[in-house]
Amino acid sequence: METRATTTTDDGLIGLAADGDARAIRALYDRFSPRVYAVVRRIAGDDDLAQDWAQEAWIRAIRALPTFRGEARFSTWLHRIAVNAALQALRKAETRRRRETPLPAEPGEAHPSIEARPGDVLLRERIAWALDRIPARMREVLILHDVEGYTHEDIGEVLGIAPGTSKSQLFKARAKMRDLLGSLEAEESTRPDRGVETCSI
Amino acid sequence: MQHLTAETLARLVDEEPTEAERAHLASCAPCAKELAGYGAQTRALRSLPEILPPRGDWGVLEARLRSEGLVRDPGLLARLGLGRAPGWGGGAASLLCFGLGGFSGATLAARVGQAGPAEVGAEAEPAGTEALDGAEAAVRMAEQRYVEAMTRYRELAARSGGTAQIDPISRYAALEHLVLAGQAAVRQAPGDPYLNGLLASALAEREATARLVSSGEGWF
Repeated sequence: METRATTTTDDGLIGLAADGDARAIRALYDRFSPRVYAVVRRIAGDDDLAQDWAQEAWIRAIRALPTFRGEARFSTWLHRIAVNAALQALRKAETRRRRETPLPAEPGEAHPSIEARPGDVLLRERIAWALDRIPARMREVLILHDVEGYTHEDIGEVLGIAPGTSKSQLFKARAKMRDLLGSLEAEESTRPDRGVETCSI
Repeated sequence: MQHLTAETLARLVDEEPTEAERAHLASCAPCAKELAGYGAQTRALRSLPEILPPRGDWGVLEARLRSEGLVRDPGLLARLGLGRAPGWGGGAASLLCFGLGGFSGATLAARVGQAGPAEVGAEAEPAGTEALDGAEAAVRMAEQRYVEAMTRYRELAARSGGTAQIDPISRYAALEHLVLAGQAAVRQAPGDPYLNGLLASALAEREATARLVSSGEGWF
């Protein structure tokens, strides 16, 4: 469970940033932007969208900084803003319908190759590839639960759904991921002269 | 024998199986293997790395923050880290005042003849102050004079040329001189925090001006 772990240095930085200090805002950005960008990118499923949405998340966060009371960790507070911004943008962009049509792995479609790369890198690429191909609501739940560590209660609050619905979506999402990754593995195993380093999950 | 469904296996990643499910898993190798695969998939998701935002992302964000009035630049003292830094004295203040005076003068002289470097620089030159308080006051005064001079220039430029914009290209050129001087100084005294601060500040200003030049917006 997260406790209040914002350091004195962070407090000072956050205070300065809340006053609009450019250097303090830059310091916060340098420290937290990878985490913010990661969650937004995974929700967006697209680099260009992610860049816009992450910017929006930062604008919202900086705007809301004066209201930050330090009751939660700053990283948690910021993360929640990023998730909300990305989810809202996702709804606005009306990409939901498109994403709810799963994109099968078609022959010739760019997906992670197995050639001469360390197993963990390959695995991450495959995971990222599959994440971008599962329906939006399932992906949101899967990212929030399995990647970001949210509880089903937290997810219910963020997404406006019941915790039971969150669970149900999670299990479907895991199954969908497994299906996509399995098809990828099957495809790789049928290719000749492959298998320098396989990574079975 | 009927295998466990995909959703059941997905649930068993983090929930205990029922007695029936446990018994099935104990006797069904494919289902046990599949469950292990689900576990590996979930562990892989938990260990996904952070993702670095694209290069240049901060520049775009900074421009947006500025356009929304969410950013203010710190005062010169804070920018140089001098507000709470002990140990810098009259020499530093003198150099800074000289730099500010020269910079203001160069910028002004580039655009109007009325306010040359001598006029501005002479007033921003309370050098020789040895005490820290005196040095800080000197820097504040220099900063104030700089802002006043730029404000006056803007008014004059608006009156004479009908435009309230100061040429950012001239400012960029002046900053380029300052950067080159700062780099030379840092080469001579690489560990000097003041010189490094001054150079960093000049570099930041130059970068900001370059962005304004490229965006075509006014800078003052």
